[in-house]
Amino acid sequence: MSADVDDPVRASLERFVGKPLGPPEEGGEPRLAPEAVNGPMIRHWVDAFDDRNPVYENETTASEGRFGGVVAPPAMLQTWTMPRPKIQGIEARGGAPDDMTFDNPVSALDEAGYVGALATNSELEFERYLKPGDHLRSINVIESISDQKMTGLGKGYFVTWVTTYTDQDGEVVGRQLFRVLKFDPSTIPGLGGDTK
Amino acid sequence: MSAAQTSPRGADIAVGAALPDWELNVTPTVVVAGAIASRDFMPVHHSRDYATAQGAPDIFLNILSTNGYVSRFITDWAGPEAMVRKIAIRLGGPAIPGQPLRFSGEVTDRREDGDEFVFDVAIRAANDLGDHATGTVTLNLPR
Repeated sequence: MSADVDDPVRASLERFVGKPLGPPEEGGEPRLAPEAVNGPMIRHWVDAFDDRNPVYENETTASEGRFGGVVAPPAMLQTWTMPRPKIQGIEARGGAPDDMTFDNPVSALDEAGYVGALATNSELEFERYLKPGDHLRSINVIESISDQKMTGLGKGYFVTWVTTYTDQDGEVVGRQLFRVLKFDPSTIPGLGGDTK
Repeated sequence: MSAAQTSPRGADIAVGAALPDWELNVTPTVVVAGAIASRDFMPVHHSRDYATAQGAPDIFLNILSTNGYVSRFITDWAGPEAMVRKIAIRLGGPAIPGQPLRFSGEVTDRREDGDEFVFDVAIRAANDLGDHATGTVTLNLPR
């Protein structure tokens, strides 16, 4: 898909497409998770979601089954690589876990007036289940940015990125595709503004 | 619904089979517990004042939690021998306290994969606001 070259906002976003997302000092390298996969965080999750699949904490059941031992709930994949948050000031940062700022299409669209954000799609893929001791790295790459679309929330752009998760041996253990609509709330249809 | 302690045989599950319906009682504690267990400290998932200032009706379930509950809905049925391969969802309206979230699912495809079967399950999680998440979960089960 080639970008709409007559749209200066979309044209300005072309620099992100196909590129890793992150601070320049990381040089596009995958980021190490703060913690290795571990029992306490698994049990915290099991209790929060009341997910009593025995393979998450019953070593006897788990060792007799396909996984050969206790595994982490697969949906925890993203949790392992969530950054350690700075709690003070998180409201002022709009919920961002830390002060780290780097050039990215979501901020660029904020600055261009497309301040609304709505997550539209999530696709998690698991190559294998994780075991305690696995230590992940993750890297985010902008897969695509749509041309400007008129949506029910106003004019906007769909930004799609793919996070790839690798283990301590460099093997891919999972992926997540994530799509967000960044929209300009002042252009919502029916507000008397430009609705074409 | 409680978690299955054994898995059905893949050969016994036909296309068109319905998963047992399940309803999650969404409370503020449910929303906050899921957000923190998934290490998501965004204030929209624990502060009603912050969430309403952002235009949301209340604090709402984070996406990691939605995926967590979808995974639980699948394995509560498919049991400990299931391996979830993919959770692909389209996100709709928010899941908020006081609005029970109703999960439903139906097997839409079954295919062979060595000594296992691979299944696609169409899932839906909805509340009185409409669809919260719809999509497809892919999982393996032994024959």
